[in-house]
Amino acid sequence: MNLITRLYRGETSFDFVGAKRTWLMISLTLVIVSVLVITIFGLNLSLDFKGGVAVEAPNPNNASVAEMRSALEKLGLGDAKIQELAGGADLRVQVGALSSSESETFQQTVADVTGSAVNEISLNQVGPTFGAEITKRAVTALIVFLAAVVLFMWWRLEWKMAVAGITALFHDLIITFGVYAITRFEVTPATVIGVLTILGYSLYDTVVVFDKVKENVEELNTERMTITELVNRSMNQVLMRSINTSLTSLLPVGSLLFVGSFLLGAQTLRDFALALFVGIAAGTYSSIAVASPILASWKEYEDEWARVRRRRERSRGDAKETAEKPTAKVSRQSPSRKSGATPRPPKKGRKR
Amino acid sequence: MPRRIITLIIVALLAYGGVAAILATHSTPELGLDLKGGTSVILRAPEGTDPDVLAKAVEIMRGRIEAFGVQEPEISITGSNGVLVQLPGVTDRERALEAIGQTGVLSFRPVLSSSFQSPIFDTTTTTSATTTTTGDSTTTTGDTTSTTEATTTTSLPAGVDPSTGFTIKDTPELLASWLPEYADDGSLTAGYEVGTLCKTDSAYITCVGDGSGNPVDGTVDPLTGGDITSALATFSQTTGQWQVDLKLNDDGARKFQDLTRNAAQFPVGTAQRQIAIVLDGKVISAPQVSANVDANTGIAGGNAVITMGTGTNQQQQAQDLSVVLRYGSLPVSFVQDQVQSVSATLGSDSLRSGLIAGLAGLFLVAIYMMLYYRSLGAVTIVGLTIFGSLMLIVLGLLGKTAGLTLTLAGVTGIVVSVGITADSYIVFYERIKEELHRGRTMRAAVDEGFSRAFHTILTADTVSILAAVLLWLLAVGPVKGFALTLGIATFLDILVAYFFTRNAVSLIAHGNLGEGGRFSIRAAAGGVQEAS
Repeated sequence: MNLITRLYRGETSFDFVGAKRTWLMISLTLVIVSVLVITIFGLNLSLDFKGGVAVEAPNPNNASVAEMRSALEKLGLGDAKIQELAGGADLRVQVGALSSSESETFQQTVADVTGSAVNEISLNQVGPTFGAEITKRAVTALIVFLAAVVLFMWWRLEWKMAVAGITALFHDLIITFGVYAITRFEVTPATVIGVLTILGYSLYDTVVVFDKVKENVEELNTERMTITELVNRSMNQVLMRSINTSLTSLLPVGSLLFVGSFLLGAQTLRDFALALFVGIAAGTYSSIAVASPILASWKEYEDEWARVRRRRERSRGDAKETAEKPTAKVSRQSPSRKSGATPRPPKKGRKR
Repeated sequence: MPRRIITLIIVALLAYGGVAAILATHSTPELGLDLKGGTSVILRAPEGTDPDVLAKAVEIMRGRIEAFGVQEPEISITGSNGVLVQLPGVTDRERALEAIGQTGVLSFRPVLSSSFQSPIFDTTTTTSATTTTTGDSTTTTGDTTSTTEATTTTSLPAGVDPSTGFTIKDTPELLASWLPEYADDGSLTAGYEVGTLCKTDSAYITCVGDGSGNPVDGTVDPLTGGDITSALATFSQTTGQWQVDLKLNDDGARKFQDLTRNAAQFPVGTAQRQIAIVLDGKVISAPQVSANVDANTGIAGGNAVITMGTGTNQQQQAQDLSVVLRYGSLPVSFVQDQVQSVSATLGSDSLRSGLIAGLAGLFLVAIYMMLYYRSLGAVTIVGLTIFGSLMLIVLGLLGKTAGLTLTLAGVTGIVVSVGITADSYIVFYERIKEELHRGRTMRAAVDEGFSRAFHTILTADTVSILAAVLLWLLAVGPVKGFALTLGIATFLDILVAYFFTRNAVSLIAHGNLGEGGRFSIRAAAGGVQEAS
């Protein structure tokens, strides 16, 4: 039976938790690199956080970036950020904070150079304190959200699961910001929304895995299965869901990213989709590689699970079983295998 | 007819019928400014501003903007001390900003001197703006009139820009030359408001309603516009004059009593007996405290009358003054945090991008689900149309009833929610496959699969809704729109899963598509029973 068929039928038996040292090394490296990059290079914050004026003007004159810059130099705004949008059909100009009269002169100049009317220009003018306000609120939202989620997961699942889930969440957040710091993409308020959404996604994924673990603990014969095996089994059971969900989430987000960046140049969409893309990928990875191994390793220390493990190790010693076997042995208990140990591949189209 | 078929019919009628109704009545969701073009401004009051004060400011701004002629302005309090002003379709920014930009503070100030008018200003015309203040007390007072004079200057003071005029308080040296009695102590630089010199067609005059331009003491904690409860222009039958009835709150009443008590110390006819009403550093009017006011008590109780005299245009003057007193200033001064203006073209471009992205995303998800889950994929596609219809209905209704507008961030929220909805189907279908692998019959697998999957869906969706609610409560600006659509979508997802998906899948499981053929549930589960 090939891998794809097994995946399709939900009969994989990857040893996710067994590879926890590898996962841990990868995650730790990613997190450390991210933290280093963020502290050394910082984030490329958009004007919404620093204050400034950005305009987007239609460009019937087909003015070049250089023409725009020389016109702005006369106003002492030579260091403006000038970008062509939609292949030069629009120009985007961004400068630092201006007084309202300076801002009017600036808009007029941009209008003159591009040959558009001032009223056709889209404007985003931000005071220097606005970003601080956004950041403060985002951080407040984050803290309250984390507290609420810990309580919810504690109540619905258990507190160790809550801690493992939150750890994975921080992992995702740090890596996402790390990617922003490395790629020098601008962090905009839309990015902040994206990141806040990642919180939901990351936890959502983890909750699904843990919900399965909890169900298996209640239903399966825990006397004959260590918690690591049980978590492994749960993850294999929900693996296809994780893959499918990530795919179905990434399809709309990917089309948002594609349409936003390449087709129509809608910047808000692009900023948002980029954060989501990175975040969803990290979220899927962390529920497998961070949250679940943490939970399994931690619960191994509980008296009940430690006892099961010792007994299993003794019997394994007797049977001289290899490391591959435990999952197979577990499978034997499940009712689905009553009909035979290794099902043959499906014979397609022979039914009728 | 089985109950699940009845439920399915009801769900379909509700969703599709609702959309038809929404479309027929043109109640499609209102679009936000970033999608249809317009200007939005975020103003921020100082930290720790009283919410009541903020609400009052919003009320004042609304009055102003409506008077200015903007169609359907949206003004709302955002966060703890911000005001979001949205002017749909208004891309004439300067005009719009002007309308809300007048955030000057209206205050009542004691007048210091009238000698200011000389030596620079020559009196050329005199208006008979007779302004009198009488205490609205039981002892009725005879009105004392004081005539203040409009002044024009024939020669321009040194240092004044002929095109713009200038604000006197910015130039202490000039001030000192005009006000020798205050020149020595240097205190005039510290916040004394004396008026602004402006250009008119023929001459330079001080920009004051009655032309007095008297310097006022700006150092005391002033009675401000926020202290005024009401100011109405009325015609008094007893005096035969137009007047402004002024009502103050408790705080204002106390300040007003202090003001009038101090002013009443001075003889009738002197400048110090006047009280200046100052807006943005300009003296609008400077009524004199009536001779009948007791110098020991002042005007107590927070009620006062400003009489306008008997001139020709008094009705208009009384009304203008009452408007200034009511709307003339905001109770706090705001900073413009963000001005965002989106042209109508950019707005429609963004909307198109969002819709294209959304539809493309939906299409890809639909194809994927069909390939992977066969007949169950078809259930998903119908389910997504029902989900989309319900979303449109809810947004349309909220737009009509609660003034909700759909912004670009909101559209992104919907696109993201497609992923969350798709996940609910996947969780359910994977559960069915698992149950089938355990050897259950098709019907048992569907029933058991749903009750277990629904538990997972509820848990996971609760986290999403929790996130959305918290974001909505705590965030500002576009994040709010995103949180709202995400929250609504997640909630609808639960409803669709419970009422539609379960029944539809159960219907298929009971029919031909359950077991047989490539398109069946059995085939999607990997054909377990065929193999064994």
